[in-house]
Amino acid sequence: MAPVAPRSGDAVFANIERVNAELFTLTYGAIVRQLLTDLEEVEEVNKQLDQMGYNIGIRLIDEFLAKSNISRCVDFKETAEVIAKVGFKMFLGVSASVTNWEADGTCCSLVLEDNPLVDFVELPDTCQGLYYCNILSGVIRGALEMVSMKTEVTWVRDMLRGDDAYELRVKLLKQVPEEYPYKDDE
Amino acid sequence: MGKREVVESCMDNLMIEMVSAYCNQFYATKPELAARRIEAIGYHVGHQLSERYTMEHPRFSDHLEAIKFICKDFWSELFKKQIDNLKTNHRGTFVLQDNRFRWLTRMSISPTNTDLSQDSSITTIENKALQATSMYLYFPCGIIRGALSNLGIACAVSADMSNHPACSFVVRVKA
Amino acid sequence: MQFFGGSEISPAPSAPTGSGNNAHMMYIFNRNGVCLLYREWNRPLRTLNAQQDHKLMFGLLFSLKSFTAKMDPTSVEKGNLGVPQLPGQGCSFHSFRTNTYKLSFMESPSGIKIILVTHPKTGDLQEPLKYVYNLYVEYVVKNPLYVPGTPIRCDLFNTALDQYARSLA
Repeated sequence: MAPVAPRSGDAVFANIERVNAELFTLTYGAIVRQLLTDLEEVEEVNKQLDQMGYNIGIRLIDEFLAKSNISRCVDFKETAEVIAKVGFKMFLGVSASVTNWEADGTCCSLVLEDNPLVDFVELPDTCQGLYYCNILSGVIRGALEMVSMKTEVTWVRDMLRGDDAYELRVKLLKQVPEEYPYKDDE
Repeated sequence: MGKREVVESCMDNLMIEMVSAYCNQFYATKPELAARRIEAIGYHVGHQLSERYTMEHPRFSDHLEAIKFICKDFWSELFKKQIDNLKTNHRGTFVLQDNRFRWLTRMSISPTNTDLSQDSSITTIENKALQATSMYLYFPCGIIRGALSNLGIACAVSADMSNHPACSFVVRVKA
Repeated sequence: MQFFGGSEISPAPSAPTGSGNNAHMMYIFNRNGVCLLYREWNRPLRTLNAQQDHKLMFGLLFSLKSFTAKMDPTSVEKGNLGVPQLPGQGCSFHSFRTNTYKLSFMESPSGIKIILVTHPKTGDLQEPLKYVYNLYVEYVVKNPLYVPGTPIRCDLFNTALDQYARSLA
């Protein structure tokens, strides 16, 4: 049976069904490409990728929690570390670092130096303004919302745009407590 | 460098969102257009993968050789197993059967629910599930068509999932 | 924690069979109070309609969580009774026992609540509940045909769950 302590991202990654990353990367690329054709506006594609990521995040969170054996995510700082160290490692096999904390502890950066989504990708000039990896920011936003944290996630650096790393800025807007869902007189 | 891998659910979730975006959002009332887009995405993926996996491979002498490559090497790269059964009528039609097709194994729905007392609604749900499942299958059909097209074979590919979770892909080579 | 524990009051239930007839029923709720699943294996007495029953169960857990956190002697941050908490905030209760049944509970940080009602003599069920959470992930969350937040209708999940419930001693 499962050990009680939270598992490391490496341990989970090693013990979970994995697939060829080429298939994943090329599928993502083909989806982005098709969306660019169908939606025409780059801004619309960014939005669509973010929405798809969000939908993935709200499902992925349970797999993440169940497999990593994490039983609480209340503190934003701890949660950010867990996403970077366990989450990225567990799903994509790469780890991120958490930096640039704001003094009040509500905003930080996740920095990725290696990113399987962009293997074999070169953006043509016609894709100016495209956040190719926007699905990732959606995933993080969706997953955090399921653990009661409303966040805003934006790209600060993007290697496809010539930066030296991928950097996501994650800002905690508010923590939403669980409400009693029924009215008293029902 | 070893082959890079990601966790299976990354791929599963990507497919769920791709199908959902095209079927429920963009072409909610035009399933045939949604199907065409999903197939096109698959085609692109298959074409590129086949390109990569045949780089050091000698040219295939005939259609059967190319199809065998899809059944063995190509399928193994994607699903870590080979196609279980290959049949052909020797006139350009090939049936590739995977006895436990990975992308179907998690699909399940049970109509027997207490809040569904009417038979008609059960049928609707079953039909919907069937329709949704077939939408997912346009993706691997596209992959196979793309892979073969890269090997110089123009064909049409359809899928039959009547023995779920087994799945048969029917390849008809264009004369 | 254990309520009303200690001396058994009649009517005493029959001893646990050991052969796997100890699970009475299971509920799974999401963070919005939607009953995603109700599964029953052995429930001779039923007095409420399904909706009332689910609502009552959710209300019981909601209040109990709030009370247990309020009474926690080890924590300074308690908040006010009835003021909503974040899932996973404060202490969490695992089970209570009456003379006729035991209720075991787990909640994920994403607010998925799994409740298993069993024979009162059943042992600790935290690990089995986590196992059920894993089943939920594998068969429900990863089922492409499942729409998040809706009642679960997955054959594979129900079969796996029934099988597992029978194996509980």
